[in-house]
Amino acid sequence: MVSVVLHGSFLVYPEVKINKRKGMVISMTVISTTAITDWFSSSLADFGAKLQMVFVEEDRYQQMIRGFLNTLQITAGALGVGIIIGIVVAAIRSSYDKNKESLKLRGGVGYHILRILNLICRFYLTVIRGTPVVVQLMIAYLIIFASSKNGVPVAIFAFGVNSGAYVAEIFRGGIMSIDGGQFEAGRSLGFNYLQTMWHIIIPQMFKAVLPTLCNEFIALLKETSVAGYVGVVDLTKAGNIIAGRTFNYFIPLFTVALVYLALVVILSWLVGRLERRLRRSER
Amino acid sequence: MNGNVLIEVNGLKKHYNKGTVKALDGVNCVVHKGEVLVIIGPSGSGKSTLLRSLNLLEIPTGGSILFDGVDITDPKTNINLHRQKMGMVFQHFNLFPHMTVLRNMTIAPVKLLHKPVAEAEKKAMELLTRVGLADRANAYPSQLSGGQKQRVAIVRALCMEPEVMLFDEPTSALDPEMVGEVLDVMKELAREGMTMVVVTHEMGFAREVADRVIFMSDGVIIEEGSPKEIFESPKEERTKNFLKCVL
Repeated sequence: MVSVVLHGSFLVYPEVKINKRKGMVISMTVISTTAITDWFSSSLADFGAKLQMVFVEEDRYQQMIRGFLNTLQITAGALGVGIIIGIVVAAIRSSYDKNKESLKLRGGVGYHILRILNLICRFYLTVIRGTPVVVQLMIAYLIIFASSKNGVPVAIFAFGVNSGAYVAEIFRGGIMSIDGGQFEAGRSLGFNYLQTMWHIIIPQMFKAVLPTLCNEFIALLKETSVAGYVGVVDLTKAGNIIAGRTFNYFIPLFTVALVYLALVVILSWLVGRLERRLRRSER
Repeated sequence: MNGNVLIEVNGLKKHYNKGTVKALDGVNCVVHKGEVLVIIGPSGSGKSTLLRSLNLLEIPTGGSILFDGVDITDPKTNINLHRQKMGMVFQHFNLFPHMTVLRNMTIAPVKLLHKPVAEAEKKAMELLTRVGLADRANAYPSQLSGGQKQRVAIVRALCMEPEVMLFDEPTSALDPEMVGEVLDVMKELAREGMTMVVVTHEMGFAREVADRVIFMSDGVIIEEGSPKEIFESPKEERTKNFLKCVL
């Protein structure tokens, strides 16, 4: 759109439309520029005052920072818990799928132990993936850790256990995608199953699943926004509290949204860098 | 003679689908220390299954395998310790793609035999020099040609100082011009007195290097003898037919 300044105080927006019956139509919208600048300067001052009210008065920015730190803490903690659970569950599940035949032939208790572990893992996956994370969070806070006063560790536990189920299936897919020859090479050198997993399979698996894993972490970061349900003041809850106190919804909620967006962009960038680094061996 | 036996296979069976498919159907054979035993036969004859059973990559459904006098098919045997003494070379190399050549070779001695890293690397460099790949020590497998990969795979197995080397069609996945360089390494290994069991389609290699040749078909050993006996005067009809096709 082209804007033309007329007499120094008017803006003209010529607009060209193609109309089937009338052919080309040029319409002009004329707006007083003084009106715009007036509106702009007054709303700017207004906005400044609102910012002052939302963040500075009663040191409300501190609440926002506390919420931000809690969100980071819960996400990072749940990430760690999720990865550990994910590796263990994926190792058990893929080990059962790959080795059940040969273990059955070998005899001994190994097969039965693995079969029971596999059943437990499948039960865990079904329950966790089959129920909403908010419900799991409330069960963790109000029933399992009913005596706990501090919501953050409970949230880390609940989100970690939840994320673990998804991470486990991502890892299992990654492990199953590694060529069976890699297992055989590891085993033929004398590594036992776990050593082969740790030194040979998991490093390759990790590289293969990194983009999917990044997706899961982004989802996790945003899922923690329901932590407010159990009284944890996370970023979303902080924004909500401020909005409720100041009756201004626009600024706190968009601030919260922007912070999440910034975190996700930074996380994606970091994972992208890691991916490039890990790809070195593929030159 | 008995003190000379390294591996003894007795009545080895590998049945699938409740016995309807018999990959191995009662195989008896021995591998003596220092000999090169070559297993030949048509595809599906069970020769790879037999080789892979020797270090229990395939779990047999019957029979026993004595390695150094220990029954490794017994569930109570720690197979991992025995596998350390049995080097294996695969058709598709199976190098670890996320590690450099040097790390591929040193990871097992360092983690399993608890060798100091410097010592393991020195040994690995000696072996790489012998196969003419010292300058590729810090390369990743994807940067090597097929022949180079297989030579690395051989010396990776040698880093564990095994008592026997098992080769599972080591040249089948190679471009024709690279077969020679791998066979040369294997020949040198044989000359040094390494015990080797080789499954291969390279009849020239079998004839030249083998001390003994086994011909397998349909999961059983049809005939065994010196390369001269097998290749020049085979007794069994099936051996004759097979050799007519491949020679």
